[in-house]
Amino acid sequence: MAKTPGGTNREGPRVSRRGLLQGSVASGAAALGNFAGGAAQAQADAQATGSTTPTVSFSINGKTQTATLDARTTLLDYLREDLDLTGTKVGCNHAQCGACTVLIDGARVNSCLTLMATLEGSEVTTIEGISDEGELHPMQQAFIDNDGFQCGYCTPGQIMSAIGCVREGHAGSAPEIREYMSGNLCRCGAYKGIVAAVEQARDQVEEAG
Amino acid sequence: MSIGNPVHRIDGKLKVTGSANYAADFSVGTPLYAELVTSTVGLGRVTSIDDSAARAVPGVRAVYSHANPLPVDAADFFGAGGRAQQSWRPFESADVRFNGEIVGLVVADTLIGAREAARSMRVQYEEQDPAAVFGASGLEPEDLPDRGLSMGDIEQAMEASSQRVEETYTTYANTHNAMELFSTTAQWAGDELTVYVPSQWVEGFAAGIAEELGIDAARVRVVSPYVGGGFGGKGSLFTWTAMVAAAARDQGRPVKLYVTREQGFTTASYRAETEQDFRLGATADGRFTGFEHQGREISSRADTYVVNGGENTARMYHADAVRTGVTCIHADRQTPGFMRAPPEAPYFFALESGVDELAWKLSMDPVELRRINDIDAEPVNGVPFTSRSLMECYDAAAERFGWSDYEQTVGARTEGDWLVGWGCATATYPTQMGPCAVRIHFDATGQARVWVASHDVGTGAYTVIAQATALALGIPVDSVKVELGDSRLPPGTIAGGSISTASNVSAIEMAVAQIHDRMGTTAETMDPTAAFEAFGQRAIEEYAEWIPPAASRQQAKTLYNGKVAIVGGAEEDYTAFAFGAQFAEVRVHKYTREIRVPRLIGAFAAGRIMNEQTARSQYLGGMIWGIGHALLEKTEVDPRNGKIVNANIAEYLVPTNADVQELEAILVPETDTKVNPAGVKGIGEIGIVGTAAAIANAVYHATGTRVRHTPIHVEDLLPQA
Amino acid sequence: MKSFAYQKPASAQAAVGMVDPMSAAGQGGAFLAGGTTVLDLMKLHVLTPDSLTDVKTLLPAGIEERDGALYVGAGTTMAAAAEHPAFRDRAPALSDALWKAASPQLRNVATLGGNVLQRTRCPYFRDVASACNKREPGSGCAATEGVNRLLAVLGTSEDCIATYAGDWANALILFDTQVEVTGPEGDRTIAFEDLHTLPGDTPAVETTLGDADLITGYLIDLPDWAWRSVYTKVRDRESYAFAVASAAVALDMEEDTIREARIGLGGVATVPWRARAAEDYLAGKTLTEETGLEAGRIAFADARGWGHNDFKIPLGQQTILRGLMEAAALTREGTQ
Repeated sequence: MAKTPGGTNREGPRVSRRGLLQGSVASGAAALGNFAGGAAQAQADAQATGSTTPTVSFSINGKTQTATLDARTTLLDYLREDLDLTGTKVGCNHAQCGACTVLIDGARVNSCLTLMATLEGSEVTTIEGISDEGELHPMQQAFIDNDGFQCGYCTPGQIMSAIGCVREGHAGSAPEIREYMSGNLCRCGAYKGIVAAVEQARDQVEEAG
Repeated sequence: MSIGNPVHRIDGKLKVTGSANYAADFSVGTPLYAELVTSTVGLGRVTSIDDSAARAVPGVRAVYSHANPLPVDAADFFGAGGRAQQSWRPFESADVRFNGEIVGLVVADTLIGAREAARSMRVQYEEQDPAAVFGASGLEPEDLPDRGLSMGDIEQAMEASSQRVEETYTTYANTHNAMELFSTTAQWAGDELTVYVPSQWVEGFAAGIAEELGIDAARVRVVSPYVGGGFGGKGSLFTWTAMVAAAARDQGRPVKLYVTREQGFTTASYRAETEQDFRLGATADGRFTGFEHQGREISSRADTYVVNGGENTARMYHADAVRTGVTCIHADRQTPGFMRAPPEAPYFFALESGVDELAWKLSMDPVELRRINDIDAEPVNGVPFTSRSLMECYDAAAERFGWSDYEQTVGARTEGDWLVGWGCATATYPTQMGPCAVRIHFDATGQARVWVASHDVGTGAYTVIAQATALALGIPVDSVKVELGDSRLPPGTIAGGSISTASNVSAIEMAVAQIHDRMGTTAETMDPTAAFEAFGQRAIEEYAEWIPPAASRQQAKTLYNGKVAIVGGAEEDYTAFAFGAQFAEVRVHKYTREIRVPRLIGAFAAGRIMNEQTARSQYLGGMIWGIGHALLEKTEVDPRNGKIVNANIAEYLVPTNADVQELEAILVPETDTKVNPAGVKGIGEIGIVGTAAAIANAVYHATGTRVRHTPIHVEDLLPQA
Repeated sequence: MKSFAYQKPASAQAAVGMVDPMSAAGQGGAFLAGGTTVLDLMKLHVLTPDSLTDVKTLLPAGIEERDGALYVGAGTTMAAAAEHPAFRDRAPALSDALWKAASPQLRNVATLGGNVLQRTRCPYFRDVASACNKREPGSGCAATEGVNRLLAVLGTSEDCIATYAGDWANALILFDTQVEVTGPEGDRTIAFEDLHTLPGDTPAVETTLGDADLITGYLIDLPDWAWRSVYTKVRDRESYAFAVASAAVALDMEEDTIREARIGLGGVATVPWRARAAEDYLAGKTLTEETGLEAGRIAFADARGWGHNDFKIPLGQQTILRGLMEAAALTREGTQ
């Protein structure tokens, strides 16, 4: 049973399955230049009723799961307190530091400001999900090779952000990496090593897509 | 060998995979969650607490406050030889002594419930106007005459000078803001208590928690194997830690507390603001005559805490006469504490700005002015340095920086729309050590294990301890396993004052010498299989208690008492400091006056370096802290009610990746056989020292505006409207 | 955070029918898109909606040509918009204002619909124990005599000096922009310049939107000279920081002479700010340091400092000068 959120057996009215699927269609349509929003959906007026304990299905590190959670539950708290995936760190809870960065559907985001309720159908990847059977991800190895950390607390967030940074195409030069890695504070000041690590791993991450 | 191999961190794989367990990462089954409630007034008393809304939140188990206190006593204050961050405990009365003080603790089944309940507490206060900042009425100055230094006739020496600087420098309050949130998880098994808490001092925390709970210290175990940044902020026992343990005992369940980022600004320690009156005179040819440095430092009403940097600024250069002093300014604030280079960061901003001001008055290259006043023995008592490579550092950094192109003219250089300025400053940190015990197990397979209640706060302690053990035993580094950060281990030192490496390595070398002595081996000829065959045992274990040579009998006894004993720096028979030189290039936009630091180059000499890579990272990290100190960091207090208005990490600005451009630390070789058996000086703090002055000096060079406070902001350099 | 009901309707139209009007005191319901403002403030109990209506995937996302103007869906993320060639090449100020804001992680989720409605960072607004007329009408303003270094000097009142915290709106205001809104009464458009309202004596009212109105998109009429536009953002640190002062500048130039100048200001005003008097002054002038600074003086002629933020008046003037110079230095290829 859920520890963080609610942690009770209260179950409010559920979001209808139909509503969720339609939500997913809109989500899929959210690509640039595509306008499957309002008008197309206007006729599909199945109004999902609100719930303080919605049920949501999602995958974390490739594992699909369904949970009924207090609507307030953030991805960060769910990972750490419920799933014991404590590699994702909590540094501020207000998206001011980047320690909690994970990938959602491939894009880096702050898990502290992400509600679980919004993750229907989403794929979440955390630091625990990027190494393969004990083989480090190239970005992880690059952080070791370049001493891209000291205390190590911001490191999982830095690494997830660095992977996102490369995939976004913002790792072209040291100044660009510095700017596009500035959403991850490192109080120890390992920035020089972090930039070197991103440069080292860039090509491998790009090839892996 | 003076520079150790750049071995990658042996804990690196754990850290990059998210497998290193920091305090809040330990699983304790299904804990209850606690949340702090903090005061919203700066002085006064709690008149009523309405917890009805809080208790109405589903799953709330308890609301503790002064009206329903937990059985926790106050441990002795750290600054008075104890372990606690302050001398009083929350809930001991209805009094509110500063804004953000703990006035309640909520315990609930869920984290979400605890948070909601804490924010639903309605606390009423009888409010008074606090005296929270310099200039407020009602501050209480406390002179500390025995903390000052005096040599010669300062007035006469000042009169004998041909140029002098007499200025007041101020530094604002700073907050550590380690990336890891403060937390505590407490779990009881019968009357045995385990506490997971981010700590730079597990021994002291265990002893202090026992003291606060009134139980036997042997029943308390503090676990903190990985610390998400310390910087001094986790060196003294937090007020909430024993409270969480008491709540766990009361509830019969493990209890976990996250302290919010905002609460971390007020419920832990900080670097207090200072005002420093500084005087320095020189003869026409640059020889210093008189030196005076008087500090005023904010502290709480109850606790006398000063960092008193004049004790160290007075040791830097030649002087005919010296006078220093410090005044503790008691205010309605929380008690300050250690923060990276506690005395040196603020006081060397004044000294090294002042020396630069004098260099301009003398029309003398600031590097040469320091060379003229370089010394072999500190000037106050004439005690020699164990080693001093200050000018070697200046020369190495100056060459790399290209200082020979320096022109002592304001605004001499521009690049595009940016004014460019150069500045330099001295860095230093006293070499300190503490008593330390270590146990080493070594077996016939060639594997060694090292246990010590020391800490890796990002310094690389795991790696350096493994290297030191491997080197002393004569085995590969990857044959050594290290356990740290647990109060059940042999007592190590506090991770503060840059003492860990010197103390650990000295103790390790002692234990390994005992092993070699018993086995008849040496590092050079070590062949584990043959050695153990000849020894006739499958393994050997040695325990060593290392006491620094300068330690008093009293200090030596602290080892098992959870007390801190630090020796070093300016001692009776030796003066031990590491030195460095910082060179900064700044750019100031010609219109909007933002200040950026495109280049920062430091050179440091700190005796034997155990690991080139982790040492360099320490220096670079300290220099980045210097950028923050110079240009960004300011804990902003509203004078009306003592509230910290930027108690978050979006408006309390620390440097981002983009704030750091060309950054380099040069490791200047130095051998010091006198400082300690290991020949090691501390490196954790020196990187921040002098950086702010180097940047301020460069700002002057670029703009002609001398800013005598930190941080320096655009408004300090703008033309008037 | 207070308990709330999460609801995810099937369409934007359905959403406006579902959301309960949220009162100024933060009660009622709220829309959830990127969530970077609303969840932040809910954690602080500054906002305590009893329902969140998730519209993130219901809003149109993307940028395209429509009837000779640029249509921008409100669901477009800041990250996607910052990179879009329509912004980068045709109106760099619109791109600069986005990538210079927040962090890559925030920009990946924050939407342009929510972005213009970003709430102030005034520390007294964000602290429920402080007096704040915006958060709690009639409670007073702790900022006017408080620590107000980052607060506004333009558009203030005795009741509120909270700075509008966003960046993109300060660039958007340069152009003739229609905001498309859907609400309980159906669809309508609002001129962007009419969207935000000065605090006056009702600082809790920040826009002309109704409680259940939802921004669905923007129609931006970009002049063909908008390529000569910049967003100059002055910050205490190099990245991931709110503006101390900023200037969005677009220039239509013939040789060294300004045919038309447009100036938007951020970090210094209570709302996205258009410096029209300064623009009028510049029309027909040759751009020099003198004329640029005079434009700055005109823009801040009615500014009022509140102590710690007095410097924003000279800083704002200098920021305008710098923005003008940087815009003028652009060439058609977008390089200096």
